[in-house]
Amino acid sequence: MCLGAGIVLAGAMARASAAGDISARAKQLHFSSIVIDTHDDTTQRFLDGGFDLGSRNALGSIDIPRMKEGGLGAIFFSIWIPSKITGPEAVKRALDQIDAVREQSRKYAKDLMLVTTAEGVREAHKQGKIAALIGVEGGHMIASDLAVLRAYAALGARYMTLTHSGNCEWADSSTAKSEHNGLTEFGKDVVREMNRLGMVVDISHVSDKTFADVLEVSKAPVFASHSDCRAICDAPRNMTDDMIKRLAAKGGVIQINYHVGFLSQEFRNAEKAHPEWEKAIALEIQRRCGTREGCQLIEGDRITREYVLRGDLPRVEWTKIIEHIDHAVKVAGIDHVGLGSDFDGANMPFGMEDVSKLPQITNALLEKGYSEDDVRKILGENTLRLMVEVERVSRELNAAK
Amino acid sequence: MHRVRVSRFACLLVAGFLMMQAATGDDIADRAHKLHFSSIVLDTHDDTTQRFFSKNFDIGKRNPDGHIDIPRMREGGMNAIFFSIWIDGRIMGPPAVQKALDQIDAVHENVIKYSKDMVFCRTAEEVRRAHAQGKIAALIGVEGGHMIGNDIRVLRMFGDLGVRYMTLTHFYNDEWADSSTAKPEHNGLTDFGKDIVREMNRQGIMVDISHVSDKTFYDALEVSKAPLIASHSSCRALCNHVRDMSDDMIKALAAKGGVIQINYEKSFIDQAYKDAQDKFSGGVVAMMDQLKKECGDNEECVNKKMTEMADKATAEGKLPHVSWERIIDHIDHAVKLVGADHVGLGSDFDGANMPEGMEDCTHLPRITEALMRKGYSDDDIRKILGGNLLSVMEQTERVSREMRAAQ
Repeated sequence: MCLGAGIVLAGAMARASAAGDISARAKQLHFSSIVIDTHDDTTQRFLDGGFDLGSRNALGSIDIPRMKEGGLGAIFFSIWIPSKITGPEAVKRALDQIDAVREQSRKYAKDLMLVTTAEGVREAHKQGKIAALIGVEGGHMIASDLAVLRAYAALGARYMTLTHSGNCEWADSSTAKSEHNGLTEFGKDVVREMNRLGMVVDISHVSDKTFADVLEVSKAPVFASHSDCRAICDAPRNMTDDMIKRLAAKGGVIQINYHVGFLSQEFRNAEKAHPEWEKAIALEIQRRCGTREGCQLIEGDRITREYVLRGDLPRVEWTKIIEHIDHAVKVAGIDHVGLGSDFDGANMPFGMEDVSKLPQITNALLEKGYSEDDVRKILGENTLRLMVEVERVSRELNAAK
Repeated sequence: MHRVRVSRFACLLVAGFLMMQAATGDDIADRAHKLHFSSIVLDTHDDTTQRFFSKNFDIGKRNPDGHIDIPRMREGGMNAIFFSIWIDGRIMGPPAVQKALDQIDAVHENVIKYSKDMVFCRTAEEVRRAHAQGKIAALIGVEGGHMIGNDIRVLRMFGDLGVRYMTLTHFYNDEWADSSTAKPEHNGLTDFGKDIVREMNRQGIMVDISHVSDKTFYDALEVSKAPLIASHSSCRALCNHVRDMSDDMIKALAAKGGVIQINYEKSFIDQAYKDAQDKFSGGVVAMMDQLKKECGDNEECVNKKMTEMADKATAEGKLPHVSWERIIDHIDHAVKLVGADHVGLGSDFDGANMPEGMEDCTHLPRITEALMRKGYSDDDIRKILGGNLLSVMEQTERVSREMRAAQ
């Protein structure tokens, strides 16, 4: 309880100091730009019950008041279930989550607008609303059935991450033992069908070989919805410089993830040195949340921070995010980097506790000497360009049929 | 169709050479033809969807078997069709959900494939627009509440994928509603079943009470804020089958603005046939069960064997002949009971045994001509052919708008 209060206090202080640091120019730029986040795990909270997206929440990183405060213009709500759940059960649970996003968009129609295209995102922005989009995080949720993939697309899903942390039936993950040598033949069909449907192929989470296979098969540019740079933090979930270059060469975008374990090598090393902590954290999450998945994701962040506060795990500052953005820009060019926070699904660095802190990114990039146009690209324009391109390929493929 | 064309030719001869006055039988044939082919002819129940999974079926070509394809719909003037999403009522939970998604997708993919002839429709207005463009309006109905996996969220997703009615049960009870062909276990609709009906109202999905038990029907009638439909049921007064509706039920349905869409299945329209079939195969559920054992999941095989079995039994004199005119008797009975505003067509093509003379959808113009000969007005015939169902769709859409606005 005392600890919890301490976290809230620390959070409040960080917010106050950060807000004071934002230049007028940065504020002007940030709040006039379309700021897109391609990965948020808030969806699971909708199903837990007891969470209201419309009011300011003490816990977690995302709700409408804080999205407005942080100037977030478009959010991809992630549809996610553990990759060990497969087949029809996975399909039904994914439908439940898609419904939850659609219901929330209807419930808060004053603030949110469910959209499926780049044009839709711009229209929402014009109307002063937050564009809500859907991404499916893991190919296991289609149960090896292209009809299900098409149903998701029809219900508004605009990207699918090919795997989550386990392999799916047709693609290898970066965090599981290879069993398909990348994409299977069916996996290639999935990518082609996604091209036809106008869904962005998301290569976050997949193995390097799966990534290479995707680049070869996909007719449209692809993105990493929430991954960082391996050159800074050597995690399999991150991308090597070579991968980032190849992604960019096809017009793709790497959307930088804010998870401390992907941002900081030091944090990652400390975690790896103490595998028993991971187990202890998992047990504590179980104790606090039971089977409520939204709760699990958020408590994971809180408990990890308790380890940091008592000095067991290193403290990672939000400025690490800027390092990754800057590195990726240097490797791939300004047109190929964006934001994919992983809010409500990962462990946030200090100073980026929630979405209200986003203007700091704009401020820091301007301070680094980025032009306003460049900053706009990173905040959302690169992602929009990619979406337009994916939509164009879809139209062409459908016309050619 | 052949007969109609000859009649028209004869009519022209008569008109051209003999200058006979109007009101001959041939004149009716001509007027009926014109009326039929200028009307929206809407069929609320066709089991063609299952055929999409067969390599032998192409809806774009004329098929030697079955009852529905685009060339034959064009020939029969059928220009609005509800493709039925159906799986065995004993499959429940997530597997039922996925199989239903597969079938919904198959409808959408076929409509895309034949977009020159078909257009997917979600509203009455879209059906009218399709008709104005000379296209066949394709719609989706889910035949059995078991396919939502006991989950109201899945129902909403079906609605968002274009489903415009759901039959609350099929042959078996689902988790929240009793069927007319199973032992009651819920005494009609459970509280959750009532929530489902309310949610269907909110989503603008028509509540279909074909297949459900009488108590489920009355429960749904009480709960629903929108009119109900019986997508494919006939009249018990003429053929005492549990799948049909009693006069009291038809009256109650109509009093709330609903429609009974007459089913062409022989055992639902002809008492003698039903009685003989009960003796011959133990009734429709037992018969379908036996066929399922023989065919497994192959619905093509089930339908083929069902037709073969019925034809053979009829040829051997074990089952009586049933004429398509029985369909007219049922329409007429329902109209006499509740007026022309509450009756429509729900053939059960590709899912039932058709009477002689209604072997496929090319024979539909006969219905228009028969009703005209009975003295029905053009307006009333148009209502029965499709207008009534469209007005229930419109009322369902209005209720949905009102409920959403009130939230």
